[in-house]
Amino acid sequence: MKKILIVDDASFMRLSLRTMLEKNGYQVVGEAENGNEAIKLYAELKPDIVTMDITMPELDGIQALKAIMQFDRTAKVVIISAMGQETKVREAVICGAKTFIVKPFKEEQLIQTLDKIANM
Amino acid sequence: MSVQFSGEPMLDMYIFETTQNIEQLEKCILDSEKSSGYSQAAINEIFRIMHTIKGSSAMMLFNNISTLAHSIEDLFYYLREEKPDNIDCSLLSDHILTGVDFIKVELHKIINGEKADGNPSEIINDIKSFLNELKSKNPGFMDKIRPESEEQPRYYIAPTKNKASSNYNAYQAVLFFEDGCEMENIRAYSVIHNIKEFTEEVYYCPEDIIDNDNTIEIIRSQGFKITLKTDKNYDELYKFFNQTVFLKELQLIQLEDSFEFNKFTESEQKEVKAEAVMVPKTDTDSKKPSGKDTQLTGTTSGQNIISVSVAKLDKLMDLVGEMVISEAMVTQNPDLKGLQLDNFQKAARQLQKITSDIQETVMSIRMVPLAMTFQKMFRIVRDMSKKLGKEVKLELIGEETEVDKNIIEHISDPLMHLVRNSIDHGIETAEVRKSCGKPPVGTVTLEAKNSGSDVVILVRDDGRGLNKNNILKKAQENGLLQRPAADMTDREIYNLIFMPGFSTKDNVTEFSGRGVGMDVVLRNIESVGGSVSVDSEEGKGSVITIKIPLTLAIIDGMNIQVGNSRYTIPIKAIKESFRPSSKDIIMDPDGNEMIMARGKCYPILRLHKLYRVNTSITELTDGILVMVEHESKTLCIFADELLGQQQVVVKALPQYIKAKLKGKGLAGCTLLGDGGISLILDIGGLVNI
Repeated sequence: MKKILIVDDASFMRLSLRTMLEKNGYQVVGEAENGNEAIKLYAELKPDIVTMDITMPELDGIQALKAIMQFDRTAKVVIISAMGQETKVREAVICGAKTFIVKPFKEEQLIQTLDKIANM
Repeated sequence: MSVQFSGEPMLDMYIFETTQNIEQLEKCILDSEKSSGYSQAAINEIFRIMHTIKGSSAMMLFNNISTLAHSIEDLFYYLREEKPDNIDCSLLSDHILTGVDFIKVELHKIINGEKADGNPSEIINDIKSFLNELKSKNPGFMDKIRPESEEQPRYYIAPTKNKASSNYNAYQAVLFFEDGCEMENIRAYSVIHNIKEFTEEVYYCPEDIIDNDNTIEIIRSQGFKITLKTDKNYDELYKFFNQTVFLKELQLIQLEDSFEFNKFTESEQKEVKAEAVMVPKTDTDSKKPSGKDTQLTGTTSGQNIISVSVAKLDKLMDLVGEMVISEAMVTQNPDLKGLQLDNFQKAARQLQKITSDIQETVMSIRMVPLAMTFQKMFRIVRDMSKKLGKEVKLELIGEETEVDKNIIEHISDPLMHLVRNSIDHGIETAEVRKSCGKPPVGTVTLEAKNSGSDVVILVRDDGRGLNKNNILKKAQENGLLQRPAADMTDREIYNLIFMPGFSTKDNVTEFSGRGVGMDVVLRNIESVGGSVSVDSEEGKGSVITIKIPLTLAIIDGMNIQVGNSRYTIPIKAIKESFRPSSKDIIMDPDGNEMIMARGKCYPILRLHKLYRVNTSITELTDGILVMVEHESKTLCIFADELLGQQQVVVKALPQYIKAKLKGKGLAGCTLLGDGGISLILDIGGLVNI
């Protein structure tokens, strides 16, 4: 079972993602509310895939992504973004995010994306 | 998506989090307004909250909330990036607060299971025109929509580079992305980014995918075309492209020779001035984050607070109640009577101690500071003082005072009503205040403090105070006077305003007196076992005192026996209990029994008659009278005997009993130490029977 780390400051989004993922055979090994927590948990939990929100307090998703990529070049980070964040998303792609999903997304979209990333 | 989210927890979480976010937002706005300006931190905070609400609402398909949040987010994006210094803060607050109100209303609909169908377009338009106005006042931003904070360095890849290598194959690929995957241009960019890891000879169309959002449409309709040279074979490349996320369709052809390759690249990129492709620099180090931020150890952010549903707490409280009773059932078990049980007693005392500790802890979990409720009033004060043209400041004292969660919910509305009243009717306009020698800014003070097992909340204003004559006149007109005015104390006259059907203000204003009078406030407070009174000094202001119990769940009670039934009277209502002597018992002209005590006459209520209980004690002199008082009304309750004082756990009456005994003066029931049931008397209800 693939291990997922969810990073999002909104508990609603975390719950949504967790529900969708667990329904589809993914194992959510951790949830982080901000970039700092994400980095810490990544090092601890070594998840297969990270879903990463961009706008977060303390340390945003881009910074966390950069730190994680520095720590593990093979990290698979999927950005969960919203409309209007094109610049940030591009920066994330440059920094090594595997891909991104735009809110609102459907369960199939999320799962298809992760399936693809997981098999890379 | 609604099918996906059929599970209620998701909706609950959405409502919970959005409500919290909105509250935080409101506080942020009001704080900013108070400190006369939006700090960068506040702008960031509001931007982040709106961003979260936008995302969550979109996921839940509440599109009206989502689009509104988006427009506010845009506004704050602009404020964050451009830092214009000529913002009309008050106008800005108005706009956001209107938006916040809209979201609140929609949330309320959602909570009530209705459809969130409000139309925010007017508010959005207002916000947009406000933003446009800001932009026109701060030129230089007009054309830049969400620009990068710093220009990315770019470099050109010379197509001639690496040409020496002869075993290069040329390919052309056309990619179509799935419908609705959004930001196709960046997805395309991502593909190019990945290609560049193995070849630098790559051309693509449309070309300006990053800077031009219109390319999204081109990619959607015509696909994203890439021509490239690589040493990979067809299968490898095919596999590579197929890994692209959200790929709907891939056309990949191998080109015969470099002639064809050039032909393609030229035809595809006619408009390109230079013969090279612009690709942003990929060096991730260019924006190396400061070391502090990236330390893998991170900061410790262990969770210290968890949110638990109130239902679970209620259940826990219930269980603790049961435990208190069971404990009494064990330690006071009739089987133990007369036995010498030293060790048992020791163990029982230990159990008793722990039970009461648990009870206290559980109660404290349910305690919530009044701060949140008090904070809400800032908004009301702000809106009202603006609309009414009065200057009012709100002062909070003792907002850290804690009250049971269930009670807090019941006092929020009454408090709001009282604050509105104070500002609307109490506080005068600045001119009037000046002419009276008062400071021009009126003050409304909310004060909370503990007093015994009650919490007292005072709503004080330094306005014109209540006018006795007006109150009396009005009360007379409405036939509310039961006694001659001359007999009444000032306090009694003031408290007439709590009578149903009383309203001194003829004109109903927007804020207070919408047909809801002070009697509703009183009813609300009484429903949680509290009381309200008012005191005033003409010209100086008035004080409304709300007294509410700390908790509803456990009360000190006096158990009494009537026949085989037992009843519990809340201790705080009891004034005294005594055995009457026959000479003091009199009959009033209507045949009601009365008792004389110290020269005053009180009505007698026979519980056995009221509840039709069989008892051998029907002579008043054989039983005992318990004098109880509620809201200065006094009554003597007749019972067989007193059983003793005990802390009891209040349990709601079952629905079928409640319906049958409505208005019969029962507040609930409780279990006694011996396992029997006792009915808790509602003194407020009894004195009015």
